[in-house]
Amino acid sequence: MIDEGPGSLSGGQGNPMMSGGPGMSGRPQQDDNNQRTQYTMPGILHFLQTEWARFEMERSQFEVERAELQARIAFLQGERKGQENLKQDLVRRIKMLEFALKQERAKYHKLKYGSEMNPDELKPPSFDKDNMKDEVIETNPVASPATTATWRQGRQLLRQYLQEVGYTDTIIDVRSARVRSLLGLQPQTDTGEGAQPALVNGDSMNNRRAIDQGKARGSGKMPSYVEGALMDSEASVLATFDFLANENVADDDDENLSDENEEGISADDENDERIEKSRSKIKTAGIEGMAGVDDGEAEEVLAEFDFLVSETGEGAGEAQSHGDGPEWVKKELGSPNEEWGVDQQLISKLKEEYKKERKTRKTTGGVQSGGNLASGNRKAGVTVNNNPDEELEAISVGLGELAEITVNNDADPANYDQITAPTEVFRKTWNAKYTLRSHFDGVRTLAFHPTDSVLITGSEDHTLKLWNLQKTVQSKKAASLDVEPVYTFRGHMGPVLCLAVSASGEQCYSGGMDSTIQCWNIPSSNIDPYDSFDSKVLQDTMVAHTDAVWGLSIHNTKSQLLSCSADGTVRLWSPGTKSPLLNTFTVDSEDGVPTSVDFVRCDPGQMVASFTSANTYLFDLETNKQILTLETKQNSESGSNNQINCVVNHPTLPITITAHEDRHIRFFDINTGKMIHSMVAHLDAVTCLAVDPNGLYLLSGSHDCSIRLWNLDSKTCVQEITAHRKKFDESIHAVVFHPSKPYIASAGADALAKVFV
Amino acid sequence: MIMAKVDAEESIIRRNRPGTKSENWCSWPDEPFEEMDSTLAVQQFIQQSIARDASCVDEILTPPDGQDEGVWKYEHLRQFCMELNGLAVKLQTECNPETCTQMTATEQWIFLCAAHKTPKECPAIDYTRHTLDGAACLLNSNKYFPSRVSIKESSVAKLGSVCRRVYRIFSHAYFHHRALFDEYENETSLCKRFTVFVTKYNLMSKDNLIVPILEDMQSLPSESEA
Repeated sequence: MIDEGPGSLSGGQGNPMMSGGPGMSGRPQQDDNNQRTQYTMPGILHFLQTEWARFEMERSQFEVERAELQARIAFLQGERKGQENLKQDLVRRIKMLEFALKQERAKYHKLKYGSEMNPDELKPPSFDKDNMKDEVIETNPVASPATTATWRQGRQLLRQYLQEVGYTDTIIDVRSARVRSLLGLQPQTDTGEGAQPALVNGDSMNNRRAIDQGKARGSGKMPSYVEGALMDSEASVLATFDFLANENVADDDDENLSDENEEGISADDENDERIEKSRSKIKTAGIEGMAGVDDGEAEEVLAEFDFLVSETGEGAGEAQSHGDGPEWVKKELGSPNEEWGVDQQLISKLKEEYKKERKTRKTTGGVQSGGNLASGNRKAGVTVNNNPDEELEAISVGLGELAEITVNNDADPANYDQITAPTEVFRKTWNAKYTLRSHFDGVRTLAFHPTDSVLITGSEDHTLKLWNLQKTVQSKKAASLDVEPVYTFRGHMGPVLCLAVSASGEQCYSGGMDSTIQCWNIPSSNIDPYDSFDSKVLQDTMVAHTDAVWGLSIHNTKSQLLSCSADGTVRLWSPGTKSPLLNTFTVDSEDGVPTSVDFVRCDPGQMVASFTSANTYLFDLETNKQILTLETKQNSESGSNNQINCVVNHPTLPITITAHEDRHIRFFDINTGKMIHSMVAHLDAVTCLAVDPNGLYLLSGSHDCSIRLWNLDSKTCVQEITAHRKKFDESIHAVVFHPSKPYIASAGADALAKVFV
Repeated sequence: MIMAKVDAEESIIRRNRPGTKSENWCSWPDEPFEEMDSTLAVQQFIQQSIARDASCVDEILTPPDGQDEGVWKYEHLRQFCMELNGLAVKLQTECNPETCTQMTATEQWIFLCAAHKTPKECPAIDYTRHTLDGAACLLNSNKYFPSRVSIKESSVAKLGSVCRRVYRIFSHAYFHHRALFDEYENETSLCKRFTVFVTKYNLMSKDNLIVPILEDMQSLPSESEA
């Protein structure tokens, strides 16, 4: 009774005009009659109660009816939109067919008469007209309710009929089947048909076949003749287009490429418009992005996708409105209604199926694009390059997982997500993967290409060699792959001692025992190793040093080069300019000669140079002055021979790290010059250092034949690898991290270089 | 200078540390072959004797006692190919595809470049580069020369053809770029050493040794003996 309280109250307020009003006015009359006919109090009360119950029943029935109608309206609206989209799509297809036909005609014309046709006729189909029509249609129902009413009647009939034969389930089936077939995941049951797809287009042709098949299947299942016929015609249209598209693709190779592009662009524009219009919250663009990546001829598939997405989007809307209805009914009704209970089940089923469908689409999308890329279909990359604007558009509009998947897949399979999870990556152990054998004598230096799986080594045999890690030679041992060099740089008249690769990866600079710094244009990593001699590879020779050049450091953004030489000087260069030598730095002769230089990464105006005296100085490149002396010498144990073999700066922090002949690695604060940390790092002289691009790990090499990986945070050794053999008392000359890929490499006196992954 | 700093009391450390001046490159006291425990002992030994005096061809080519001949020949050929890079660098400046369109020495032969699938008439400079690159690949091949300590007999047989091809670089330089050849020969005595080497180990037939350097050389020792 308490529950009914608010119900009755609201009931009283709910229909005051319709029923309550007359009731109120009738009551006094009834009272009069009461007195006359002598009704008993309980009788009156009983009457009132029954009357009230009747009203209540009527009201609830009304509500139910209202809800039902509203739901129906929503459903029909959704359906109408679906039909509109279908129509729009068909119109677009017709346009495209027309365009294709026109192109064919133009081609034929050109072949026959050797002259271009009237260019106006060759305009790609613009869909403005369609959109106009759409708008008209959309406003139509509002403007003329009469037509809508008849339409609705017809629809309702149709819907009733469809419901009888289980339309809703079927339509979902068909939709998901189509989505799946679009994504090429349709199990190819009709292999008889699809066995010989014209592979001109690769995957997309397959997809297309699958679409057709899916369509054919769908139409076969379809209980509705109308829909069936529609599908059939669609399939046949598609098939025809298929044929035409085929020819178009063949033309792609020669001159029609631009046309294709135009077509693609216009289609894209159209898509964008449609995204805005359809108001569907589906992440169309994600799929669009994926489709864009998919294949060259993606535009068509893309259009198809779009259509489907908006269609399923409507499906979502449909389900949503259904979903909203009952909830609200439930609240208001208080008591569950039989009819609606059933509907709710149906709705939840719909929802579920829709969700499932979406999931399938997503996963299939992911799988497909992944598969494409994995199977070495580099077309994706090509597409990206060709139409960067389109792609960007797609991506910028694009959201959700699909877009992400695309991006991830786009990256090289070997790429490590160091950026996303550096610690995880480094928790793994590094294993020798490639052995680079081709040098005749100790490898003194090496450097990776900034982005590619390419590295350059410099050796005491006077040469530098370019290696492409993707070009490997089958080796007996599966554990490590042999790589042969793709190019040999000959120019130095003595051992090559140091090397630096420019940030663009196009140039490299090598310093040698012959006192020169050679500037090389790095040939393509896919060059034929036995190609003819190109004198342009050696771009320039920078001569100023008068003794062996032992160290080089390049600045990534300033394109400046530092060199240090046994002649006692450190020089600053601007390679590629008329007079490349910018500045020369010298120190007191008692400091000996510089052994290593490095730009200060967190302050591009400074550099550090270490000397045979074990001193390290910080220089200002502008003023040419020593700013600071790092306390490297004071902290050395023995004064006799504790030269610094290598000095590197942390990529982001003001920290300088030095490798000493006395087996130590020492860390210094650049701001104060004070030592932060000192450790015995190896069993023999530490020769080389490298800090990973994120500044988390340090790699060191030593003449004790091992390289060690250190956690910069805890200064603990994470891994030790015995990498090279000794020649005289030398073993490891250089270690390096790849700037963007999961590679480390070491260069040894045993004439080998090794790459670890 | 740095080498001078090496503590005399401690055992000598043979290193070219960063900052080493070019005159001090490898300027450490010789290490007796018996004390070399490295897998690269033969290379060390050869380089050590070359560094001592490059013109002492016979001394350089005298193997230490009990040395495996295959490895000895192999390491010497590596050294030759390595030093030929120096000649190639010099040739790059002078020998261009326009002037030396073919690999020739005397007018008798045109040498085809074996680096390609079908031997090809490469210009002399390309022949030089390709031959050296090919030799580098072969001599470093994990298949034929997996070890530098012991070498299969079948692989040793490969050395002859490498010698034959590589020798053409000497002959081309001698007949077409004489000034350059002489300059290089004066510094390194490489052609002399090579000729003695292939003759000593019978790696090439005498007919192919067209650079008349042996005659000079045969006259040289007799003069010095006199």
